[in-house]
Amino acid sequence: MFDVLIRGGLVVDGSGAPGRVADVAVNEGRIVAVEPHIDGGARRTLEAAGRVVSPGFIDPHTHFDVQLLWDGAAKPALEHGVTAVVPGNCSLSLAPLKAKDRAALVGMFQQIEELPPAAFTEAFEWTWEDFAGYRAAVEPGLQVNVAPLVGHSLIRLWVMGADANRRAATADEISAMQDLLRASLDAGAVGLSTSFIDVDENGRPVPSRFAPFSELDALAAVLGERGERMLQVVPEFYDTDITIARIDQLADLSLRHGIPTTFSPVFDSRLTPDNVPRTMARVEEQFARGARVWPQMQTRPIDISFSLLRPSLFFGRLPRWVRVLRQPLETRLASLRDPSVTDRMLADCGPDGGAAMMSELVVRGGDAAPAALVGMTLGEIARQRDESCARALINLSLEHGLDVAFVAASRGHDDTGRIGPMLAHPLMHIGASDGGAHLASFATYGDTGYLFSEFVRKAGALTLEAAVKKITSDTAQIWGLKDRGRLARGQAADVVVFDPATIGRGEERPEFDMPGDGMRYVRDAIGVDAVVVNGQIVREGGRYTDARPGEFCGVS
Amino acid sequence: MSLVLAAPAAARLECAMVVGAEIVAGHDGAAELLVRLRHENGVEAPVVLDPATGFGVMEAAGVSRLDDLVGRRWLDILREL
Repeated sequence: MFDVLIRGGLVVDGSGAPGRVADVAVNEGRIVAVEPHIDGGARRTLEAAGRVVSPGFIDPHTHFDVQLLWDGAAKPALEHGVTAVVPGNCSLSLAPLKAKDRAALVGMFQQIEELPPAAFTEAFEWTWEDFAGYRAAVEPGLQVNVAPLVGHSLIRLWVMGADANRRAATADEISAMQDLLRASLDAGAVGLSTSFIDVDENGRPVPSRFAPFSELDALAAVLGERGERMLQVVPEFYDTDITIARIDQLADLSLRHGIPTTFSPVFDSRLTPDNVPRTMARVEEQFARGARVWPQMQTRPIDISFSLLRPSLFFGRLPRWVRVLRQPLETRLASLRDPSVTDRMLADCGPDGGAAMMSELVVRGGDAAPAALVGMTLGEIARQRDESCARALINLSLEHGLDVAFVAASRGHDDTGRIGPMLAHPLMHIGASDGGAHLASFATYGDTGYLFSEFVRKAGALTLEAAVKKITSDTAQIWGLKDRGRLARGQAADVVVFDPATIGRGEERPEFDMPGDGMRYVRDAIGVDAVVVNGQIVREGGRYTDARPGEFCGVS
Repeated sequence: MSLVLAAPAAARLECAMVVGAEIVAGHDGAAELLVRLRHENGVEAPVVLDPATGFGVMEAAGVSRLDDLVGRRWLDILREL
């Protein structure tokens, strides 16, 4: 008697091999057989004819550290087929952290994740200081597997206190950081994250940015000593030359200490078309030397979002709009109500009334906009109101205290013809979703569905098997996650059943499910039928089950 | 506030001209300003600025339209920041 039997699906096992119709049997959290036909009963049988059965997807760049304390599924990541997440990126984790430093960390997290303050005061109780304590707090409620990084900024804060973002560390302090990193790795962290660009809520560099390279070198030595643990880095990604210099630094650390390293984000842009090619050329050179420096690229395009509450460079070609939107709020409101001002603003937009620039803007919701308008384009709204697009944008914003958010979709990293081959490059690590972060700015979920809908089905840049491999066994291998990423006997039974003809991501929509009625943008999953984690069904028929089989991933 | 540049840096930027200015999508969903500079040796390189800095550059250059940055000397703009 098996625990779970998945019958008759197209098994795409994560190796890159062609899919084959087979049954998959699971017992005690492990895959026990993958055969053309498996006899024997099962406590639960999933019929998968016409569906793909693959390893669960692994998301290597998330910020679910806080959310996991009240939501062990990292919703909606799990329903997209993601069975393992890596939180703790960008130098920030929730441990190790002394009680006296909690306020400082909350500021940094709010800056990055945009979590409402209530998330830190109402949703959970701080019961830990060290990494083992954080693990004890989070692991019992997990539905998804977790492979956490420990944040360099946290390690600095623990050892140096307020000096963490003021100065370089002494030799004794670096030694203490090494000990703390050892303890965190031994308690379940899979590696260390650091950042060269992030800032706190006051715009001050996070503590990791005050570390000289020698400090990072000392910490990387611990990663090597504990067995090829990962170093994750956020470089100065907006400048190709500096990114290349960081690639060289990471390569040196990789070779010296025998560790894998990864950096993100890597974006393509029409305006900097040589960025990715130059970056990848240097990555190839360093891999040829034996270094492991994995660039991470996200699949989804970048949107621009704005409201008239704050000046946005979206209006950078409309001089009168720039002048008005840079006024203090009360003055700005008065200007926007003054026809003599708005007539001139509209004149800036040309004879089409702003249609060319603004008609495709979409009302995002999650703010003061009427629910009926959410998801509509400004062009549709303008027609309903019998106004020009620019006039409708101003009037609609005025009617709701300017608290109406618009999104200009796919304004960067959106050239599928260029990005497809980049994602397919054997040294490109697909990730960088930022799941659980930027909550009030955009949805960080559904990148895996978008990989299949855009780059497998639409563009044909990757085969189904290659795409599955990229986000399962490749990721497990890069990160050294033990027994993950393959559908093979003896592997952990993390499985997703999906429809290859429809898997994708839903439209972005606001969801008020954060503590304190906080809002975030999410995307629903499309075409994912069932998700199994460690041999237990956690998602089926569009619903979550009560199973809590998630665990901290081991490293090989 | 005026910007004081070390002599070597100033020398490097002396001939850098703005040859393009575009709105790009930033990592955090905000619109950012990408200014493309052409240096004396012919090399072109982008500079990406966050919204506050981008507006500051436009103000320093005395322009209210991005396209009017084109043709301006980058060092002159920086000195007005």
